[in-house]
Amino acid sequence: MHFLEKDLNQLIQFWDEEPDALRTLRSSAFKQYKEVGLPNRKWEGWQFTDFSTLEKTSYRLAAHEDIPPIPETLPTIDNCNRILIINGHFQETLSVLPDKVTVQTLQHAYATNPEIFNKTVVDNSNPFHNLNTALMNSGLAIIVGNNTVIDDPIHILYYTTGLTEPIMNHPLFLIVAGTDSETTIIEHYAGATNVQYWQNVVTNIKLSNNAILNHTRIQEEDHNGSHIADTVYSLGKDAQLNAFHFASGSSLYRQNIQVNLASSGASSMVNGLCIAKDHQHLDQHIIINHLKENCNSNQLFKYILSDTSAGVFNGRVIVSEGAQKTDAQQTTRNLLLTDKAMAHSNPQLEIYADDVKCSHGSTTGQLDENAIFYMRSRGIDVRTAQLLLISGFAKEVMETITNTNIDTYIDEKLTAWLENIGVTL
Amino acid sequence: MLEIKDLHVKVDGDKEILKGINLTVHPGELHAIMGRNGSGKSTLANVIAGRESYQITSGDIFFNSSSILNQSPEERALAGIFMSFQYPVIIPGVNNTYFLKAALNAIRKHQGKTELDAVEFLKLIRKKLTAVEMDEKYLHRAVNDGFSGGEKKRNEILQMLTLEPALAILDETDSGLDIDALKIVAEGVNNYRRDDRAIVIITHYQRILKYLKADYVHVLINGKIAKSGGENLAEQLEEKGYSWLDN
Repeated sequence: MHFLEKDLNQLIQFWDEEPDALRTLRSSAFKQYKEVGLPNRKWEGWQFTDFSTLEKTSYRLAAHEDIPPIPETLPTIDNCNRILIINGHFQETLSVLPDKVTVQTLQHAYATNPEIFNKTVVDNSNPFHNLNTALMNSGLAIIVGNNTVIDDPIHILYYTTGLTEPIMNHPLFLIVAGTDSETTIIEHYAGATNVQYWQNVVTNIKLSNNAILNHTRIQEEDHNGSHIADTVYSLGKDAQLNAFHFASGSSLYRQNIQVNLASSGASSMVNGLCIAKDHQHLDQHIIINHLKENCNSNQLFKYILSDTSAGVFNGRVIVSEGAQKTDAQQTTRNLLLTDKAMAHSNPQLEIYADDVKCSHGSTTGQLDENAIFYMRSRGIDVRTAQLLLISGFAKEVMETITNTNIDTYIDEKLTAWLENIGVTL
Repeated sequence: MLEIKDLHVKVDGDKEILKGINLTVHPGELHAIMGRNGSGKSTLANVIAGRESYQITSGDIFFNSSSILNQSPEERALAGIFMSFQYPVIIPGVNNTYFLKAALNAIRKHQGKTELDAVEFLKLIRKKLTAVEMDEKYLHRAVNDGFSGGEKKRNEILQMLTLEPALAILDETDSGLDIDALKIVAEGVNNYRRDDRAIVIITHYQRILKYLKADYVHVLINGKIAKSGGENLAEQLEEKGYSWLDN
């Protein structure tokens, strides 16, 4: 991957004020990446997705000249603090930053808090993560102080638009929720462009003891976008994570989610809704690591797949030896709307403790003909009946979004998506 | 209102289930169709409602003098045909109120009436709920989700009372009901009767006919109406059993 190496060298030259330690971090991460290259179908855990398209386009890192005029209308979620990033560039003057929250650029964060960076390069098995560390050129550190309750959600909008040639961004978000804090963060990717682009995101989220964090991730990139992400959550004692991952965008999407329940009493709910059409390929791999006792985890992922799209769900729950009294539930459900849509589901449980309560389940199906007939026999037309059933399918997981404004936003997206969707089964 | 002429119906391509049904139902009448399991009772109800998994090999069904064989289930519903399901379907995630309102407004729109808004609908539905002694909490649930057998059947009657069809076909609405629920359902049906409405009730047992006065009773055996008569036919059946009519 010639263009990546070129960009790394340019980046290192351009940011010549970067501390040596950071430059070393970049170089060593790149070296790790180069040893293995991009994943191919022979790799365990990556076999359902073809990443070779990423190498067919010569992406370059977003530069200063890539900031277009700011679009007049941007996706908005009501009653939020907003952090706006356009084509990788943080728009501080257009952002409404919440009080009691520290928002720093990566350079600034590195200068003041370098250890949070080093912690991000622990997972060497994911080449995209290493690539992000080598090329990180965008992103922010967001630190919510101890005992802080942030009422309105922090909406990070990462928007890509007005491109003239293919660009890539390797954003790194470092989010720390302080002890006894309570926050809602929306990490939102969207775009509108006729040119291809590639996002390779790493989000590292730490929940300190007793912190409550609601994290909504919305991935609705333009269909010219490819979106790769590695999202890692680490939970302290009695911390509580409520995460919702909505994905409807990009032609190629791969997200690795890792939840580390690293102290006793932590609980995580990680749910998601994926909707895909045309040739979209949406792939999510989730690992829940039960490392300590008395933790619980819940997962509910739903996929609605139309046209020739594909959805991949690979969920692993690993219960370590010492993690007694673990309660882990994992459910995935796929709804296929055409006979060409494909769902790959692979729920896995690995249990090394004996006093645990774990369950998993996976179903793949089509719209229930009986239910369609029932509605039609009451005067409801076929199309409306289908759409009601599809929304009904999504509802179970949508109901887990506790913030009304976020729920409304995603619900509107789903409704608009359904308007043009093909159902042939 | 309903006229069925020499109706032959197959399922799965080969098995003939209905072998020449003739039936005429006039406005104001209540017909009971009785028969054993597998005699074709439910097939008849489903074919009238327009379920697509059956093949009609010959014969015709007329509703208000027009053939309905080429009409979709929703077209038939809009025209005024209603079937209460033997096994009401659970529709996860679809709110009961929303569903009923969508159905009623589809019918009202077809009739050239203004659609009801949420407030108007709620006012209407509350009255209908009282008639079938259903709690308002059922409105907030998904359609038939978590309903007991009896509640599902009452929900069917609630739908009938709300949608006000000209022809209601009640497919084993009485089965699985305890005596109290049976009375409620029967009373709902009785109150629904009117000179311009017809009801066809399909049942195994005579017991619901103690509460409903049938004008005609038909016995379906092996895909054909083996005998038709008045109320007393049901009593005779109860006494002698279906084998009385076997050849």
